[in-house]
Formats: sequence, C-alpha cells, structure tokens
Amino acid sequence: MQLASTRHDVADMMAAQEFYHSRGWTDGLPVVPPTEDAVEACLEWAGLVPDHLVGVEPVRARAVTAEKLAINAVMAGCLPMHFPVVVTAFTAMLQEPFLLHGATASTGGCAVLVVVNGPITQDIGMDATFNALASSDRASTAIGRSLRLSLINIMDVRPGAIDRSVLGHPGKISYCLAEDEAGSEWLPLAEERGMPVGASCVTVMAAGAPRQLMNEWTTVPEEILDTFASEIRANMRHYSIWPGNYAIIVPPQLRAHFHAAGWSKADVRAYVFEKARILRSEWADCGKGAVVRDRGGSEYAALSAPEDLLVIAAGGPAGGFGAVIPPWLGPKSRAVTVAIGACVDCEIS
Amino acid sequence: MPSAGIMTETFVSAAELMARVLGAEDYPFAVIEHPISSANRAMLAARAERAAADCARLLLGADG
Repeated sequence: MQLASTRHDVADMMAAQEFYHSRGWTDGLPVVPPTEDAVEACLEWAGLVPDHLVGVEPVRARAVTAEKLAINAVMAGCLPMHFPVVVTAFTAMLQEPFLLHGATASTGGCAVLVVVNGPITQDIGMDATFNALASSDRASTAIGRSLRLSLINIMDVRPGAIDRSVLGHPGKISYCLAEDEAGSEWLPLAEERGMPVGASCVTVMAAGAPRQLMNEWTTVPEEILDTFASEIRANMRHYSIWPGNYAIIVPPQLRAHFHAAGWSKADVRAYVFEKARILRSEWADCGKGAVVRDRGGSEYAALSAPEDLLVIAAGGPAGGFGAVIPPWLGPKSRAVTVAIGACVDCEIS
Repeated sequence: MPSAGIMTETFVSAAELMARVLGAEDYPFAVIEHPISSANRAMLAARAERAAADCARLLLGADG
C-alpha cells in the first residue's frame, strides 16, 4: 500500500506530541502517532485504497481522501474497526444538505453530532447507556474526536482560522453516540430515515450543545413531551427562532412510559411538532424586543415537519432525564444519514 | 461581473484566509465596523457612507 502523506521522524512518543502540538495538528489533547502500519490497518479494514476520494467540500473544493481520514482517525485513538464509521460520517458531512463549510466556520459554534445505528455498534463496543453523550466508551469518543481532528487538519477548521466560533461547546471535542436499539421497542433512527432494516448507518447533524431536562413526576407521554417541547421553545426564545433538525435523547426511564402507552417515535414527533412553537412576541420577554417589530403575532414552529425531529433512544437506566439537541442555525444544515459501506451515489436522506 | 465584497473588521482575517485557500490571495474587499446586527439605521448609514468610495473603486476599477 503506497501512502502519499509526508513522513516525519521524531525521537520518541513525547517528541511526537510536541511535534504535533507545535504545528497546530491536534485539538489540545495528546494524539496517537499515525504510523504507516496503523494508517494502513485502518484502510485495509475498510477495504479502501489510500487515494479513495471520500468527497469534496464544495465551497473550497477541498478533496478528502481515505488516507487523510485514516491518519486523523489513528491520531484520535481509533482502532481499525472504528474506521468504517469515520469514513461514513465524513461522507455524510460532505453531502450538500449538510453545508459543512457553513456549519464548521460559523460564529454559532456548533459541533458535528454523530449517531450510529445497526450491528456495528455492538461489534465495535459502543455503549448507548451510561453517560451516552460524553465519554461513554472508547469507540464513541475516538470516532467523534477523529472527525474534529480531520476538520482541523484537512479543512483548516482551527479556532480563529476557518472556525470562527465565539464559544463552541464541549461536543466539539467528540459528539458521538450509538442508539440503544437493544433496549428500545422503537424503530432505530436510521430505519426511520429510510435506511434498510438491519443496516449499520451513521447520521450526522450540525448541532448545538445538549440541553438537559428532567421530568420524573409523570407517566403520561404528553406531559413528558411537554417538558421536551418547553426546552425546545426555550432554545427558540433564547437562541434561534428558525426551524431545523432538532434531536431529542430519550433514556430508558422515560422510554418505558412511551412503550407502556404504545407511543411510537412517529407519535412523539407528531406531538412535539404541534407543541414546539412560539410567537415572535415572546422575544420581547427575553431582551429581543428590537426584532419583534409589528410581527409579534407571527407563530414560529421549531420543526418544518414532524420528520425533522430526530428521536434517539440512549442513556443510562435510572433517572427521568432527557436532552434536547438544537440545530446549528435553523434549516441551513440538514441532518444526513448514510449506510456504512454504501457508495456515495447511493440514496441518502 | 464587477463585484464588491464587504467585510466587517472582525472578519477580515477570515476573508483573507478564504481568499487564500480559494486561490485569490489578494482579492480586494471593503471593510466596515463590526457588528452589523445591533447597529441602528444611523449607524448602518454611517458604515455605508464610509464604505461607498471603496465599493465604487472595487466596482469600477482603480481608474474609476
């Protein structure tokens, strides 16, 4: 296998760290030196040649090859068996509806949320239960980090360079989780989004930080979802009024109430679609009266359609918690789902 | 087609970087004060007035 990237010789592991940090090639954390053997092992596992074109970022016409992704995957701590997820996630990020340049350059400071479905989650040891949204397991953390390192090193998405985020959020280090399909009676996210039954898939979304909520004091689906919808409305009031993809994370304790009541994900989406709405006049309550003008009576929905809500089963077993993950900037970037192993010309949703 | 890009001061470095990565290192643009979103009409008018001459030069070329 012939790799095209430049080789650098360093004395030892510590020298490698300083070498990478001094060039701005990391996210501030140590990296695994991407030796030829390690990079080739990733490519071999995924069955890709080094110059395989994963995609082209359209705004800057920047080509992304499998070799460059593999280098960053190794640096992030990925094992070869993680690499198909990395390639698929980046393939999804390079689809036009995702608007990669805008999402990664914006002052809004979103991160790429990655949701993995299908048997590969079990194969590579992703844990969709405890601490689902942060450092739940090796695979989730390394895969999420590999995307950030790839953005830094392939796309120049460094703070103050292409990345103009005012604040960012901790998900920019790694923001990856599996869906808890084994623990849920619901259809998997990818299947709901049109992917084949049983396929391993990756969904990416340009996402703000998770907003945690709690409602342990009811078993009524409508009341539980009123809490989720209220959190979405808070985001619309305090951040952005525009509709887009929202994700909600529903852990087991709350899921049990939906399952007992016979509520599907489609039922959840339909309810939230109706409830997650605000009037423009509400902006005057939170210091944004200047933009209300004469349109205070206009109603804004968080979702353009029920399908814009990504309902994800994940989280530890005890506690009536949940989370709302808001979009980066309304409809500018759309969530994209791609099946692992699918060609770039395959249908996406 | 003649065009005139306008950046706020805070985004000058981003504009220069984008011009560089797109192969147009010395691409010219006008610069105005940041920010825009909280500026009232009078402030916007002042920015526009200060940028007008630069925009004219960008649209018409150095010789006008």
